[in-house]
Amino acid sequence: MATYLEFIQQNEERDGIRFSWNVWPSSRLEATRMVVPLACLFTPLKERPDLPPVQYEPVLCSRPTCKAVLNPLCQVDYRAKLWACNFCFQRNQFPPAYAGISEVNQPAELMPQFSTIEYIVQRGPQTPLIFLYVVDTCLEEEDLQALKESLQMSLSLLPPDALVGLITFGRMVQVHELSCEGISKSYVFRGTKDLTAKQIQDMLGLTKPAMSTQQARPVQPQGQPFISSRFLQPVHKIDMNLTDLLGELQRDPWPVTQGKRPLRSTGVALSIAVGLLEGTFPNTGARIMLFTGGPPTQGPGMVVGDELKVPIRSWHDIEKDNARFMKKAIKHYEMLANRTATNGHCIDIYACALDQTGLQEMKCCANLTGGHMVMGDSFNTSLFKQTFQRVFSKDFNGDFRMAFGATLDVKTSRELKISGAIGPCISLNVKGPCVSENEYGISGTSQWKICSLDPTTTLGIYFEVVNQHNAPIPQGGRGAIQFVTQYQHSSTQRRIRVTTVARSWADAQNQFQHIEAAFDQEAAAVLMARLGVFRAESEEGPDVLRWLDRQLIRLCQKFGQYNKEDPSSFRLSDSFSLYPQFMFHLRRSPFLQVFNNSPDESSYYRHHFARQDLTQSLIMIQPILYSYSFHGPPEPVLLDSSSILADRILLMDTFFQIVIYLGETIAQWRKAGYQDMPEYENFKHLLQAPLDDAQDIMQTRFPMPRYINTEHGGSQARFLLSKVNPSQTHNNLYPWGQESGAPILTDDVSLQARP
Amino acid sequence: MAELYVKPGNKDRGWNDPPQFSYGLQTQGSSHKRTPLTKRVAAPQDGSPKVPTSEPFTGTPPVGPPPLLTKTTGPPLGGNSSPLRVEPASSSVTCETMLEDVLGPLEQALEDCRAHTQKQIFDDISRRLALLQGQWKSEKLSVPVRKRMALLVQELRNHNWDGADDIHRSLMVDHVTEVSQWMVGVKRLIAERRSLPSGEAAEEKPTTTEENEVISSLSATL
Repeated sequence: MATYLEFIQQNEERDGIRFSWNVWPSSRLEATRMVVPLACLFTPLKERPDLPPVQYEPVLCSRPTCKAVLNPLCQVDYRAKLWACNFCFQRNQFPPAYAGISEVNQPAELMPQFSTIEYIVQRGPQTPLIFLYVVDTCLEEEDLQALKESLQMSLSLLPPDALVGLITFGRMVQVHELSCEGISKSYVFRGTKDLTAKQIQDMLGLTKPAMSTQQARPVQPQGQPFISSRFLQPVHKIDMNLTDLLGELQRDPWPVTQGKRPLRSTGVALSIAVGLLEGTFPNTGARIMLFTGGPPTQGPGMVVGDELKVPIRSWHDIEKDNARFMKKAIKHYEMLANRTATNGHCIDIYACALDQTGLQEMKCCANLTGGHMVMGDSFNTSLFKQTFQRVFSKDFNGDFRMAFGATLDVKTSRELKISGAIGPCISLNVKGPCVSENEYGISGTSQWKICSLDPTTTLGIYFEVVNQHNAPIPQGGRGAIQFVTQYQHSSTQRRIRVTTVARSWADAQNQFQHIEAAFDQEAAAVLMARLGVFRAESEEGPDVLRWLDRQLIRLCQKFGQYNKEDPSSFRLSDSFSLYPQFMFHLRRSPFLQVFNNSPDESSYYRHHFARQDLTQSLIMIQPILYSYSFHGPPEPVLLDSSSILADRILLMDTFFQIVIYLGETIAQWRKAGYQDMPEYENFKHLLQAPLDDAQDIMQTRFPMPRYINTEHGGSQARFLLSKVNPSQTHNNLYPWGQESGAPILTDDVSLQARP
Repeated sequence: MAELYVKPGNKDRGWNDPPQFSYGLQTQGSSHKRTPLTKRVAAPQDGSPKVPTSEPFTGTPPVGPPPLLTKTTGPPLGGNSSPLRVEPASSSVTCETMLEDVLGPLEQALEDCRAHTQKQIFDDISRRLALLQGQWKSEKLSVPVRKRMALLVQELRNHNWDGADDIHRSLMVDHVTEVSQWMVGVKRLIAERRSLPSGEAAEEKPTTTEENEVISSLSATL
């Protein structure tokens, strides 16, 4: 139904929300029969250039167990100046400031178009943002030079009052004291021994009571415009000295003998960084940015030994339980990640090396705190340099696109409970009437903490319908959910964004077609995929695939129209037509198939999948394929081998790669140089069109994708061939000898295969 | 004013390294002229892949030339000249950017800050301006860097601090290897000059004699 697509799109644009079902089955039994759970993808800080924030405190429900925020769904008695909370039905008095409101003079938060509204609030002193660079010096000269230059460049991109610090590591870990005068000093730690937070703070001299800047809470004495410590100084004060300090960084001096890896103490370096921030600036926005050029080989958190002849673990090793260091390393980094998240800080990992760097063990640092994970081949590549630049990109207001220390609180009307969330967050363990016994993702709570987020960060939130079967549909016919996100804006203001949404209940028996028509197959696919990827972290791969297949079969049984014993009669309505191919491509995707990827690569792909918004997540599940030809404007084509034709150019976007593929005839024409002849100028334009579209995508995507420009028969064409559905393979060439499209050499099952 | 260009990625160090966009191109955001490529096609429900409308490929024939350019056929054009095409460097500088034109105003601005800036910072900035001078004289700075520095001092002269700051950022992003050693001094100079109480700084006198005096006196101290 065209109207539902519009409805879905409008709601996404306004509230940053996509539900799997937009008409809700009214009983628990019916909801479970729907197979796909009632769930939503929610982008807490969706960019809303048209939404000016209001500069007052939100009005809260006075019931202590509720505290919902005043919203357009509340009933209001303008004469008596009362409002009824739509979640707990408590009647509340408006505060005195609202004395002048009336039907024609409504406050913004009551107007329907402000279902999403942002408040700027004063909550204590505004603390500056903090950036702590943790830099690996066991790099090749060329790489170290490129990294140094990127870090120097970043000083020009940071806000002038942000605090910045530097820790370098190799065999030892050095914490640099930043000062404007005299000789630069640093504190050196052994890379082999882990220290507790208190030990670190003692050794750095952070616990002396005489120094007022080392208090646990950042208190602002009068007249002091900012707070800092010896290790974290404001950019505007320290930029010249830090530029010089970075310029003078040398490679780790400890010699590396033939056949050995450099001794890299990543685990201790991170531990010191976390302890330093814990002791100086807890509960304020901070990024620990780890730059590493190889795996940790020493101390706690080591991932591989220093003998090159012992390779770093592969999936095969992990499956055979042959990864010696993995469990201990994961434990170390999980401990650090949890502490960091509790302090409201985040950890970014920028890993550039040709071999693995231990992302599989360190991934929790980025995943639990909302930090970035960037994987490249070298620091001297455009992929790293531009991705790093984009960390500091600004929005339409000139503010950084990063936000810190967010807490997301979800409230539901009585008929719903919260089963959990999947995304870059940790649980705040807030129990309450809204919390379900089900465990989907990070569960057992109605509040989560996202220490670092940007306008595309998206959580998958899963719900349970708890109404009993045959219970009447609740009064008003609609269920409601409110999302309250409190966070530190990049301008250091504290803000609260409130989104309140409602959807109609429907009786699954008599209103089945309404529920069916309001199914959002794109959101459902991504939400199921997130569940699958979450499971894949702890379950065996084949079990996850079996689960996914079972869900697909059950869904098709419930919603498909078919005649028994006649497979060719099977039909799905429009609102379900894309869902099977999403599931097909999901099964083959690197999120669920670890074959042909290293553990680090799998961790990298899964990290990005678990936080992107719907459009980008869908691209990851089923890449976009557009075809360019002389026959008309560029058109989307089926991700199938039949779309690979000699006279077409294909543009494929998998999110991580942009592939441009020239069909055989096009490639021959290009080789012959027709594009340089004036009478064939349209051919020149044809060649250019996909390049321009690719540029458009690459100009804004984070992280920067790889760029592959290839043609029929080229070795790089494998990126395209491995993604398309192999409807023609060497096994099923048409008997009359003619084939359309290019056969794919695979034994993989095609989407159309029937038992 | 910022340059908009695209350089190829570093294929030696990274496989399939994407192209590098200039600072100007990145900050201007994506052009909205193109429709976003987000549509998909449903698989046919009867089980067979769609038969393509073009001729089937039949082995390895020698293929004829592409369709000739006619008035109406052909794919729609993007309109704007996309920097992804490799274009020659933007318009060659008709007049050489002179070192004095750049260094003079910078040193003047520094002098204006003398009273309000700590000596140490003053010396640090001076040292970096000397570095700039040295690199310029020994031909180590490329034409785009020199051109943009001229634009930067122009912004500085017009008291357009944000503009000058933006140009400094664009130089740091696009040409970090050439400018990193001294650009942070220029950045600090802009910040110091900006924070001066207004009206205190000496008026810009366009007489060449005074500029020459400033240059000669400062180069004597360097």
